[in-house]
Amino acid sequence: MRTLRALLALLAAAAALILSVPASATTLRAVDWTPTEIGAAPAEDAQWQSYDLPLRWSARPGEALRGLTLRLRTTLEAPPTQAWAMLLSHASTGGRVSVNGRMVGEIRAADASTEVRWRRPHLLAIDPELLVAGENTILIQTAYRGGVHYLAGVEVGPLAGVSRDYELRYFASTILPWIGGTLAACLTLLFALLWLRRHDPTIALVALASAFWVLRSAYFLVETVPVGAVIWLDLLYYVASGGFAVVITLVLLRLAGRTGGRAAWMPTLYAAVGPALLVATGGHATPHLDLLWVPGLIGMVALALAYALLSRVRKHESLQIVVITAITVAIAAAVYDYGASQGWLPEATMLALNWAGPLLLAALATPVVDRFVRVLREAEGARGDLESRVREREQMLKRNYERLREGERLQATAAERQRIMQDMHDGLGTQLVSSLMLVERGALTQAQVAQILRESIDDMRLAIDALAQGNSDLLASLGNLRYRMEPRFRAAGIELIWDARDMPEELNINPDHVLPILRIVQESLTNALKHSSARAVSVALQVTQVGDEEPLLQIRVTDNGKGIAGERVGGRGLMNMRSRANKIGGTLALESVAGAGTRVKFTYGLSDFHTGLTRTPTQLGLNTEAIIERFREGGG
Amino acid sequence: MSSEKTTVLIVEDEPEFRMRFKQIVESEPTLELVGVAASKREAQELIDRSKFDVMLIDLGLPDGNGTDLIRQVSAKRPDVDIMVVTVFGDEQHVVSAIEAGATGYILKDSTAADVVSCIRLLRAGGSPVSPVVARSVLRAIRNRMGGAGGTPRSGASPDNNPLSARETEILQLLAKGMSFNEIGEILGISPHTVTAHIKKIYRKLAVHSRGEAVYEATQMGLLRG
Repeated sequence: MRTLRALLALLAAAAALILSVPASATTLRAVDWTPTEIGAAPAEDAQWQSYDLPLRWSARPGEALRGLTLRLRTTLEAPPTQAWAMLLSHASTGGRVSVNGRMVGEIRAADASTEVRWRRPHLLAIDPELLVAGENTILIQTAYRGGVHYLAGVEVGPLAGVSRDYELRYFASTILPWIGGTLAACLTLLFALLWLRRHDPTIALVALASAFWVLRSAYFLVETVPVGAVIWLDLLYYVASGGFAVVITLVLLRLAGRTGGRAAWMPTLYAAVGPALLVATGGHATPHLDLLWVPGLIGMVALALAYALLSRVRKHESLQIVVITAITVAIAAAVYDYGASQGWLPEATMLALNWAGPLLLAALATPVVDRFVRVLREAEGARGDLESRVREREQMLKRNYERLREGERLQATAAERQRIMQDMHDGLGTQLVSSLMLVERGALTQAQVAQILRESIDDMRLAIDALAQGNSDLLASLGNLRYRMEPRFRAAGIELIWDARDMPEELNINPDHVLPILRIVQESLTNALKHSSARAVSVALQVTQVGDEEPLLQIRVTDNGKGIAGERVGGRGLMNMRSRANKIGGTLALESVAGAGTRVKFTYGLSDFHTGLTRTPTQLGLNTEAIIERFREGGG
Repeated sequence: MSSEKTTVLIVEDEPEFRMRFKQIVESEPTLELVGVAASKREAQELIDRSKFDVMLIDLGLPDGNGTDLIRQVSAKRPDVDIMVVTVFGDEQHVVSAIEAGATGYILKDSTAADVVSCIRLLRAGGSPVSPVVARSVLRAIRNRMGGAGGTPRSGASPDNNPLSARETEILQLLAKGMSFNEIGEILGISPHTVTAHIKKIYRKLAVHSRGEAVYEATQMGLLRG
């Protein structure tokens, strides 16, 4: 709709320009006509024939060059004092112009080799001294061949007023075709390039229409032409007009929904008739073609318009309305131009189609531009949509992840709880239940009860060491075990030697494996304490690694007691220890020599060995005996 | 043995354990019981009016946390040894008690001999420490140093790490389960010196923690000056 409004504003401005006629100039209404020799003045006794202006005369195509003098008269009350001028708005044949017998200017006329078709106006200055009060005579000596010729818009008056009119006419006859042609050339280039990138029929039609308009504008801008080339110039005009009409017809057929190739045949065939006949008759058919074929083109477009309007009456798409309106205006302009060219309608300042054509081209281009803009907007919208969907998706993923993490956490907590329950049931629970049965049977002494309770508490401490610290440092947990066992060994008179010097500062392992390892060590220590009759028990901790192999944790509990008798080596306590070791992927080896002692060797693979801190080995040897002695002496 | 008896104050709310500790102190000729308190209020009265060498204190009292009392006593009477009574697996509380000024701790179910020897160790200028407590103390110090990994050494951040390289080394060996004797052997010092080091570490921790608390309070605008 905006396009339509702009179009109407432009038309209104053009109309205002056309209607403004300078008041001070005198428009001549009559002309006298007499044939002469070429380039010669009329004889004294020449027969003058009078005609009204505008004058339109024609000769059959191919006729030879003939001379002609036109006489105009203007009456002045007094000779003018300011600069005077004459405007020949449309003197198509040109010629030598004189006022009261004195030449004032010469416009190139047809000669032996050249044909002229002036469409531009001519402004001739007249020396005021040439003019007299009363009647003044203006003679135009010219020549013409076959074709249609014009003398129209002859004005005489003060230079200022007449030149204003001249400029207007010049714009309409020359500048406007230039503008239209340039615009059409730009559109041709643009849409041709667009079509190369995208073979869209709509784009091709706009490019073709523009190209034909360029040709048509070129025809109007050629005013002097070699005699032999006249036929080609006419051919150019026919091809341009016919082609343009065909393209517009196809546009309308497309609007009506007829996009098939068959629909294009008839109009193309009809449009081809004109140029073909022109060439076939060597230019002689021109008047007939102008009279019959050209209005046929207009009729063809009008028919297509009617068809489009009838079949598209339900759809009110604004852009289609713009196109249809522009075509309607162009048809009206063409009809008017045709009427004027045949002399049935008063000739306007210019060809109406010169206005209507470029506007029509612009209107044809708008749907393509509009579609481009729409597609662009859709693409932007789609991108925005995509972005927001990606954002949504991200948030969903984040939520899912958090939910998953929460689930994992709950699962870990549940697994931890399960582990603690299992430990309590297997260890403390079993011990308490069996102790209770013994106590109820009265089979235990008070000392034995105290012993069982102490062991139960030990077991519970072990579990707490392993579970409640919130860390997986095996060394501190083992150290705590030693710290707790130490007084009991001291009370039993057994020396407990602990060698963890070469261990890293921290040894983080799978938290599930801490308690089984503690149990194994505790069991070994308890066995040594209860059964070995040893003087000393040593616990050696070591991490060894061979090459790139998995580092191994080795815990050796060695006593110098009496050793384990053969039948006891496979005993229940030992089997328990072994199964615990196997469950966490470790191994347990027992060496026992009667009278020489026992060694329990536990080996455990540190698959994801993590020391936490730098190793700080100490190089000094350990002489436990000496320390104990010194402590006993010093601490008392 | 010194001719003077070590005077002991017991702060414990659970009657069973209160009786037990009372019995242990009374049956040991080198110890003398000054008083027994079952609550923070009672303890406060005893602290105000009596003299003692050792305070045995449980942290969880019915009318408040024992840590306040520890801080108060250690500030007023630096010569008093404060021994925290704790349950196993509660090393975090032990560390905060040490930071408040305690120099020893004992498990609730320790044997009579353990309690007595621990008191003796304290009076002789030493401090007991279990591997897990040693580990917790190391962690507490490391956290103060900004949580960065790496063994605290003399060169590293002396403002934040109050411990000397030797003290740190002792703590590290303790954390691996080595006994005082073994550590003394490794370092070429007597076990007695090792326990003395521990006590020094505890005191430093308490002093440092106090300084830090004041600093933090100033930062928060609680104190003026």
